[in-house]
Amino acid sequence: MTGEFQRPPAYSGTWHPDAIEEIQEKAELGRYQIRGQATKRHNLPSFDDLVFTPAGLSRMPLEGYRERCDTKVVIGEGRVSRPLVLERPIMIAGMSFGALSVNAKRALGIAATRCGISTCTGEGGMHPEEREHSSKLVMQYLPSRYGMNPYDLKKADMIEIGAGQGAKPGTGGVLLGLKMSEEVAKMRDLPVGIDQRSGCRHPDWMGADDLYMKLEQIREVTNYEVPISIKVGASRIANDVRIACKGDVDAIVFDGMEGGTAASPTIQLDHAGIPTIAAIAEAVEALHDMGKQDEIKLIVGGGIKNGADAAKALALGADVVYLGTAPIIALNCHAPIYLEDYERLGTTPYECQHCHTGLCPVGITTQLPKLMARLDVDEAADRVTNFLNAMTMEIQLFARSCGKNKVADLDPNDMRSLTQDVALMTGIPMVGLNGRKPWWTKF
Amino acid sequence: MANVETLTLDCSDKSTRDINLAIRQAAEDGVPAVEILNTQARHNIGVGILKPIHMIYRGHVGYYTVGLCDDVTAEIHGSSGWGVGDNLLAGEVVVEGNAASSAAPSIRGGRVVVKGNAGPRAGIYLKSGELIVGGDAGYMSGFMMQNGKMIVCGNSAKGLGDSMYQGVIWLGGKAEELGSGVAEVEPETGELDEVLEMLESYQIKAPKAFKKLQSDRSLWNFNKHDFAAWKDAL
Repeated sequence: MTGEFQRPPAYSGTWHPDAIEEIQEKAELGRYQIRGQATKRHNLPSFDDLVFTPAGLSRMPLEGYRERCDTKVVIGEGRVSRPLVLERPIMIAGMSFGALSVNAKRALGIAATRCGISTCTGEGGMHPEEREHSSKLVMQYLPSRYGMNPYDLKKADMIEIGAGQGAKPGTGGVLLGLKMSEEVAKMRDLPVGIDQRSGCRHPDWMGADDLYMKLEQIREVTNYEVPISIKVGASRIANDVRIACKGDVDAIVFDGMEGGTAASPTIQLDHAGIPTIAAIAEAVEALHDMGKQDEIKLIVGGGIKNGADAAKALALGADVVYLGTAPIIALNCHAPIYLEDYERLGTTPYECQHCHTGLCPVGITTQLPKLMARLDVDEAADRVTNFLNAMTMEIQLFARSCGKNKVADLDPNDMRSLTQDVALMTGIPMVGLNGRKPWWTKF
Repeated sequence: MANVETLTLDCSDKSTRDINLAIRQAAEDGVPAVEILNTQARHNIGVGILKPIHMIYRGHVGYYTVGLCDDVTAEIHGSSGWGVGDNLLAGEVVVEGNAASSAAPSIRGGRVVVKGNAGPRAGIYLKSGELIVGGDAGYMSGFMMQNGKMIVCGNSAKGLGDSMYQGVIWLGGKAEELGSGVAEVEPETGELDEVLEMLESYQIKAPKAFKKLQSDRSLWNFNKHDFAAWKDAL
C-alpha cells in the first residue's frame, strides 16, 4: 500500500477509529501497547464536578493580602524524631532517575527546596544529584529494590513503601531499553539496554502480617527517626487503609487512576484503579472508621493539575497532594519547541506520550545526552517554582474565600457537587439540594 | 564496651529496639562478636548493622535477620524466618538449619549460606553476591536474579531462575521446571572446582554433579516472534 491517508476528523463507521488503530497497532507489535503520561479517559468523575461555596453573609472571608493563610503540614509530628515538615500541602511524586533525566531531577529538587516541599526518588535508587538538590527527599522502598541500601535509607527524610501506583496498579515498573543507559543500569544492577520489567510484589513480604515486620525493619534501620508512608494505587481503598493503619504508618498515599507514568501498558492506564476523587472519599471514611484521621496523614495524587483540584482534595479530607505530571509539564513537557522532533515521533506538543521511548524532544524523559542538554536546569527550576507558587496561591485563594486561615481547615462543607455521581460518592450535597446529610456528619 | 571479646545479649528481657541498639553500639566500639541468646524466632534481630561484627544467634530466628546490613558476619544455630540476609551489601550469613521464604532477597554482595532447605523465592532479585543452599530450594527461587551466584545442592521446585537477567545458578539435583528464559550451559574450566571448594569450606556435602544455568537472554528485550516466552513475562 502506498500513499498517505489522512483519517477524517468525523467518522461514520461502526467502530471508532481509535479502536481500529489500536487493533492494527497490536497486530503489528505483537504485544500490548505501552506509553507514557496518563489515562485518556475524559469521562471519569473529577474535581471539576465539585465547586466551592465561598463566604457570603453567613461566613466572613479573609483578606487576600493582609491575613495569613497557613499552608504548613507536618508528617510524623509527635511520632518520629525527624518529622517531615512541608511548607505547603504539596509533594513531588516518585519519578525515578531513569524515567527522568538527571537534569529533570535536579530542576525538580531545586524548585521543591525553594518551596519547602519534598521530592521523591522513585524506583531507580537515590541519585546523589537528587539528594544534593532536594532538601527534603522521600526514598521509595519498592519491590525491585533497585539501588537499595541502608546508607541511602538513612539519608532520606521519609521512607515510602511502594505497593502500587495509580497508572498501573497491581503491576510493576517498566523501563524500555533506550532509557537503560550505562548510569541507569549501574544504579539498578542491570545490563545496559534491556527492557526492564520490575516485580509487582515485594520479594520478602506478601500479606499484612509480613508488612508489619517489614515496617519494623525499616524503622529499626532508620532509628525511628523519619516518617514512613505506604503508597498504593487506588483500588481497594477501605481494606488497604485498615492494613496501613494496623501497621501504624505515618502517612498513606493513594494514587488515583488519573496518575501519570513514564511507561505503562495503555490498557492498564484506562481500565484499572479508581478515580482520585473517589479514592479520597473512601480513604477519609476508612481513616475515620479506624479513628486514625488525626494521626495518619492522607496524601493523594492522580491528575491534580491546579490549585482548585488541590484545594478540593484537601477539603475532601486529604492532607497533602502529590504532583507528578503537573511539575513535569512545568519543566517543559509538551512545550512547542523542537517541533521537528515531535514530528519525527509522529506526534505533536500537547499530544505527546513518548516518555517510554526515551526520545523526549524537550529532554525530560530521556537518557540521551543530546536531548538531556535541551533542559536548562536553572530555567526549568524557575518554571517549576513559579508553578508551585501559583498553585499554592490558588489553594490559599479558595481557603481565604471560604473564611479559613489554614488551608488544612477546608472541609466538605465548603463545597457542593455539580453531579449526582460525585454527590453520591463523596457525600457532598448537590447544588440546590441543601438538606441531605452526608456520611461525614456522623463523626 | 571496648576490650570485650564477645558480648552476650539475652533477648528474653529486651525489646527488638534495645537488642539492635546494643549490637550497633558493640560494633561501633569495636567488639568483635556478639552472642545472641534466647532468640525465640523473633523478627528483625540484627538489622541495619553497618560496622563489622560477628553475630552468633543461639536458636531459631524470625523475619529479616541480618537484614540491610553491611560488612557483618553471622552464624545462626537454628532455622531462619523469611528474608534472611535481606539486601546484604557485604559479609557472610550462615544458617545451620533451614530458611523460610525469600532467603537472601535482593542481596547486593556478600554470601548467604543455608545448610538445610530454603523455601520459595530463595535468591529472589539477587543483585550480586552468593547464595548457597545445601538442600532443596522452593518455588520461583532465583526469580528475576540480576547477577551473582546461587548454588542449590538439592532439587528445586518450579520456576527456577524465572526471568533472570544475569548471574549463574548451579543446580545439583533436579528442577521440577525451569523458569522462563533459563538455559543450561556447559561450565567453563575451573568454575565447578570453585563451587566445590566453596561447599567444602562449609562442610556441605556436594552432589555428584552440577548443572550450570543462566539467562538465555530471550527476555532481555521484547521479541514479538517469541510470544511463548513473553506471554508470561510481560
